[in-house]
Amino acid sequence: MPVIHVFVKQVPDVSTLEYDPSSLGPRLEKATLRLGEVDLVALEAAVRIKERMGGEVVVISAGERVNELVLREALAIGGDRCFYVSDPRMAQADSWVTANVLAQLSLRAGKADLLLCGEASSDQGNYQLGPRLSEILGYPCITYATQLELSGEKLRVRRNLEDKVETFECGLPAIVSASLELAAPRLPSLLMIRAASRKPITRLEISALGLSDAMLESGIVRRSVRVTKTSRKNQVLKGDTGECAVKLIESLQKEGVLAI
Amino acid sequence: MKKALLIAEDISELSELRAVAAELDAVEVEAMGPEDLQNTPALERFGLTRLYTSTSWSEDPAESLGKMLAELISGSGAELVLGVSRKRLKDVFARAAQILKSPLLTDCLSATWSDGELVVERPTLGGGYVENLVVKKFPTLLALQQRGRQISDLSGKAPEVVRLEGKFSGVRAPRLISSEAVSRSGVDLAKSRIIVSVGRGFKRKEDLKLAEELAKLLGGELACSRPIASDMGWMPEDRHVGLSGKWVSPSLYLAIGISGQVQHMVGVRNSRIIVAVNNDPSAPIHREADYSVVADLYEFIPALVRELKARSARPSG
Repeated sequence: MPVIHVFVKQVPDVSTLEYDPSSLGPRLEKATLRLGEVDLVALEAAVRIKERMGGEVVVISAGERVNELVLREALAIGGDRCFYVSDPRMAQADSWVTANVLAQLSLRAGKADLLLCGEASSDQGNYQLGPRLSEILGYPCITYATQLELSGEKLRVRRNLEDKVETFECGLPAIVSASLELAAPRLPSLLMIRAASRKPITRLEISALGLSDAMLESGIVRRSVRVTKTSRKNQVLKGDTGECAVKLIESLQKEGVLAI
Repeated sequence: MKKALLIAEDISELSELRAVAAELDAVEVEAMGPEDLQNTPALERFGLTRLYTSTSWSEDPAESLGKMLAELISGSGAELVLGVSRKRLKDVFARAAQILKSPLLTDCLSATWSDGELVVERPTLGGGYVENLVVKKFPTLLALQQRGRQISDLSGKAPEVVRLEGKFSGVRAPRLISSEAVSRSGVDLAKSRIIVSVGRGFKRKEDLKLAEELAKLLGGELACSRPIASDMGWMPEDRHVGLSGKWVSPSLYLAIGISGQVQHMVGVRNSRIIVAVNNDPSAPIHREADYSVVADLYEFIPALVRELKARSARPSG
């Protein structure tokens, strides 16, 4: 029965994130925290395998100021236990540091047959965790998965590149990074949420992971983050559909963007 | 000042990456790419000292290519490694970066030297924001968004061509079972002046004809949001506009039945005029449009088409 490690990240909900009108920076302190969109897809794929084949789903996470309530959501969806690191140093972590920390967390959480992560986080969007874990752990990795089947010890994965669709086969242990199309995440029921409150969550200190200073040293420093809003006219056209059509055509002609 | 290594899939990528290397004042530039790159006419105009070619670049698994690239980078002594941000390249770059203990920045919008520091801009927080990052470790790998930059002819000698034999035995990699080319429209949306784009508001694939007719009347191209291409497969992937698809900058972007998630809007932000047609008054697209119509697209689009036809039939004064 497969043991699956799923990597999830606590991120600000980018769909409701507001910015400070004077600095144009994001108001991260006011943001709603949630699990990354494609992380939930990876988790759903893992839970479906568990439902079919048995085994265990272990949730792995690292960040600064991680809120256990956010991790509980992953357990409500079907994770069995959780290992995480919460450390201010993660605020400046680049993909090198993140991969080093998560790989060690995974090793400490026990043996895994399949490691699943999202193709990119909802906030940083770096697209690196799967391949970097592959280099650290020495397991093969299939990125951008849109379909995944596990039968016995054989993994079959389909993925979409810009110009082709590829299918791979691979033995275990293996790493798969999920695309949004891999699975539609479920919403946990009240019963599942209640059951999750009894599932174990283990917090490890970053210093307990045996990582050297070099492995925790980020290669980049974030200097600023600014919203890229362009101002729009925001005119709502009123009237019945025929009137709106006329108004729209006339407005676009005035703008000089219609050839007609 | 710095030595750069360009990883190019074809000649247009090579030209673009060479332009970026020139902007970054690279004193020596080498390139790597598929074998046919060496047959490019007048290769000397790219100002390369060396061109590495690989027969296996397009076929080998990322597991081997990452190792090959890491060896190439450390062997060449390049401090900057530049590529065009495509899915497969990001996979290979991430592996080489991990082996070299290096940073990789993906989907970069720009890279410049400022007071002796390498400053990179890239989208963040779902694409609604741009972050400014200072790179502290070299070699560093940058996967850049393709912008159609072209290098003007550089004087120079033809590069020395070095053939790479990338054989890495004992690498555990997934086995490729099948590979099918996906249908492509062949249209370069990045150059389109008028774009009619469709989203989840369309209930059936056949209904896209409504938008198609409108696009034809306006002399524009048809595009779509991510779910229409990726989930539904109703349109080819090269018509998908948004963070993980095409970034467009038409004079007119007409979004029909698109809710306007930040990941979509980042791809259309440089449009001059954005029109939103969506029956949900609370859809975020209405806040990011110049002109909004809150209406059922199944009623509004035919009305718009009728009106456009009536006008084009009328003699213009």
